[in-house]
Amino acid sequence: MNPHALSLLQQMLGDQANFRPGQWEAIEAVALKRQRLLVVQRTGWGKSLVYFLATKLLREQGAGPALLISPLLSLMRNQIEMAERIGVRAFTIHSANRQEWEAVEAALAGDECDVLLISPERLNNERFLTSVLPGMAGRIGLFVVDEAHCISDWGHDFRPDYRRIVRILQLLPKGVPILGTTATANNRVIADVQEQLGPGLSVLRGPLTRETLRLQNLRLANQSERLAWLVENLPKFQGSGIIYCLTVPDTERVAGWLKQNGFLAEAYHAGGDSEKDRPNLEQAFLHNEIRILVATVALGMGFDKPDISFIIHFQRPGSVVAYYQQVGRAGRAVDRAYGILLSGAEDDEIQNYFIDTAFPSQQSMQEVLDALEEHEVLSIEEILSYVNITRANAEKALKLLEVDRAIGTTYDRKVLYFRTPNPWTPDTQRIERVLALRREEMHQMQAYVEHPGCLMEFLQRALDDINPHPCGRCANCRGKGLSGVVSHPLVMAAEDYLKGAQVWIKPRKRWPVGLFPEQKQVILPEVQNCPGRSLCYYGDAGWGKLVRNGKYVAGSFSDELVEAAAQLIQNLWKPDPAPAWVTAIPSLRHLTLARDFAERLAMRLELPFLPVLERTGEAPEQKTMQNSTMQARNVINTLAVNRRIPPTPVLLVDDIVDSGWTLTMAGWLLRSHGSGPVHPFTLAQATGRNIN
Amino acid sequence: MFISPDNQAILLLCSYLGLPPDPDPAPLTRDEWNVLARKLQASLLKRPGAMLDLSAGDLQSQLGLIPEEAHRLVCLLERGGTLAIELERFESLGIRAITRADDDYPQKYRQRLRESAPPVLFFAGEKALLGQPGIAVVGSRNLDEAGKNCTEFIGNACGRSGLVLYSGGAKGVDSISMKACLEARGTVVGILADSLEKAIRAPEMRSALSRGDACLVTAHAPNVGFSVGNAMGRNRLIYTLADYAIVVASDVEKGGTWAGATEALRKDWIPVFVLEHQDMPNGNRLLLQKGGLPFPHPFQEHFSKLWEWLELNAAQARPSQLNLF
Repeated sequence: MNPHALSLLQQMLGDQANFRPGQWEAIEAVALKRQRLLVVQRTGWGKSLVYFLATKLLREQGAGPALLISPLLSLMRNQIEMAERIGVRAFTIHSANRQEWEAVEAALAGDECDVLLISPERLNNERFLTSVLPGMAGRIGLFVVDEAHCISDWGHDFRPDYRRIVRILQLLPKGVPILGTTATANNRVIADVQEQLGPGLSVLRGPLTRETLRLQNLRLANQSERLAWLVENLPKFQGSGIIYCLTVPDTERVAGWLKQNGFLAEAYHAGGDSEKDRPNLEQAFLHNEIRILVATVALGMGFDKPDISFIIHFQRPGSVVAYYQQVGRAGRAVDRAYGILLSGAEDDEIQNYFIDTAFPSQQSMQEVLDALEEHEVLSIEEILSYVNITRANAEKALKLLEVDRAIGTTYDRKVLYFRTPNPWTPDTQRIERVLALRREEMHQMQAYVEHPGCLMEFLQRALDDINPHPCGRCANCRGKGLSGVVSHPLVMAAEDYLKGAQVWIKPRKRWPVGLFPEQKQVILPEVQNCPGRSLCYYGDAGWGKLVRNGKYVAGSFSDELVEAAAQLIQNLWKPDPAPAWVTAIPSLRHLTLARDFAERLAMRLELPFLPVLERTGEAPEQKTMQNSTMQARNVINTLAVNRRIPPTPVLLVDDIVDSGWTLTMAGWLLRSHGSGPVHPFTLAQATGRNIN
Repeated sequence: MFISPDNQAILLLCSYLGLPPDPDPAPLTRDEWNVLARKLQASLLKRPGAMLDLSAGDLQSQLGLIPEEAHRLVCLLERGGTLAIELERFESLGIRAITRADDDYPQKYRQRLRESAPPVLFFAGEKALLGQPGIAVVGSRNLDEAGKNCTEFIGNACGRSGLVLYSGGAKGVDSISMKACLEARGTVVGILADSLEKAIRAPEMRSALSRGDACLVTAHAPNVGFSVGNAMGRNRLIYTLADYAIVVASDVEKGGTWAGATEALRKDWIPVFVLEHQDMPNGNRLLLQKGGLPFPHPFQEHFSKLWEWLELNAAQARPSQLNLF
């Protein structure tokens, strides 16, 4: 043991601190022997301590700064503070802190940066390569690759950027140490990482089990039962915890329900307005101002709150690894912690959707490539005006093509893509392999949910733990646990809650790029729609299933839906100024469906129904139009006003809103022909999953 | 893709990859590298790759360097991390590096330029084209009608005869001849003085590169833009890869064409022809006086006879060119 290293450790963690098993060995291998090492240790073991101490020792020997590559930088704030206690100065560069880049460049130039933290995408960013990297004058003293399981296709999360990292590591002269870290890698992943990084890579692996964790699986068929279960059982847990959901609407729904029932709960997910709140939510949760975070996987690796005492899964995660990482956040510094997995009917549907949409189709990749082939450079908007795929799919395709080296990016006020001279053939084998693995993982989770024996042992075996054994603590080992029976009134209340949730339709404020080349993209406020409402998310619990049944099975929407819509409009929404008449989006396919519903709704609301909009031609179904430009073009070509329009406010009704372009275009037509404000209303909102 | 230690060492010492515009210390110039390469060969280290793991002290004693030199080498050799990142990015864009330590470094550069051969080249496209039988076309950007016709003729003839067309890959003569050659389903090599990274984005060039019908090469970092200095040093790299050169149009005593052609005539790497016609630029006239071989406009024979014609006329002129001494 190195006394200097120990004193540094104590500087960081306090006088009594000592190295955990494996920590000093890892530091010694990297910092003193300059070896290449893969560390597989459970979350909370102290990987960050290893790379910060190794950096410190290397810097004392005169080495250049360490480059730490991690996909989860925003969650490393705590670790950076810890590093500062031993004088390790860490800087971060990511897309959200552009304003700080100059300061980082200056620090690098002055050799005042000891660790530079970057996301994998940075390695291909022109600005990073032309202004930041040269500041290091090439002296990278240590490569740290976080979440190193991503190097392998057998790893549980597929991040194409890691292929670039592998290629860089392969080009690295020997003598530059590499430290890969991961919390979860089974034998297959480890062997694959070793093969890719070369024989010089040694592995340090610790046990996975958490002695404080008590696991239990419960099967509750529908969402309302599970919501009721939460309200009944959450008071039994002490301290704070996380509830994991699979989708963003689910986190909002669960958090809303818990708040309504008096719990200190908040939803936590990526995207939308919540993006900027995430650091605040994390802080509030760390300081126990929020008791329960209802999160998607966005609350991921790197988030470290030692006193979490329960993790509840509202839905079944996609793989044992994902589950173990999430449940492993509990019980780090408390004597007893619970991991409860609730599973339900929608789990398979959601997981299958995730698997089916994981990769863009070969055809759309080829079409993107063909568009780029014809041009010198294209922006993503321009690509979308040539190729009929969703923006999300285009982004996935571009990312895959980029790591396949078929395209490159450059920046001129916006990101521009160009074709490289490198040949491209679709890597179908790789994609098939990843998809097969995802299905295998899903089946393993299905088996876990039903497993009658020790749950911890099941997880250990699935993760190739060195010493799997029955834990004696899980519900199966002890033969008792929390009850899955919930009180009927609470279930009814949850059902009402699910049906009463308001879903907003945000008005579009800009036309898509390329639609009106000669015109500005802004939609003037006087022809914009007002914010509208949907009764539910399509196919979801609550009204969603009824809407699906009406559209595709019964061929008509039930009176129950008319009543629910009227209730929502009159009691909850109360559009202002109040609509004086009702109209509907015409359709050629479901001739009477939306219109019939709109007429009945108008009657119920005691308003006149005026069918002022008509289709001028057979348009392809809007949902087959995959992106904004295509969708708007599709509508504009086929929708028209056929009579004089009253100058009063109108309720514009459709069955399902997806992109919102039909409503936007219809509202624009109505307003330009003299109507009053337009309030859009639809029965359901497509969620991007579970259409059909 | 792994990379050999020799290549790694030469790229670290001689290229500007991953360095700021005015780096301190600067990478070795070609002449500095030549001095070091001789010291290496005479030492126990032998190969460039052997320097990678050595301390400043070891380098100093093994190679008989002064401390400042050894320190500079260590600084340059330490940047393996950024070099790896840059090389990976360039490979992703379709650009690769080749050094004098590589077996498939163009033989013609080794033979004709010896120590003046660039230690590092970057290229995109089909490397095997470099040094295949072919004709270099050079000339200023501004062309008269005869020059343009002649340029197109040579490009087309090369394309249809299976000869490589060598040029500077710039505007004017270069692009006209390359276009004509590619349209005739031929192969081209462009030796650039401008950014290779940008040049490979033009759709036509890109598809020629991916078909294997073109190779663009530069002795400078692939993201470095045009400079007059680079253009001057580049000219010899065009002449020395080809078997014959044809100067289509040249200014007098100025510009890259003049400088390159006079150098080529002086060094006598290959036979240099100069387009001769009634209204030819003054530069052409003077180059002919300095020993350039006349190339008639219009060319009187069938395009398929071009190579034979060049061979014959160069052989006939040989004694007179030798008589200059």
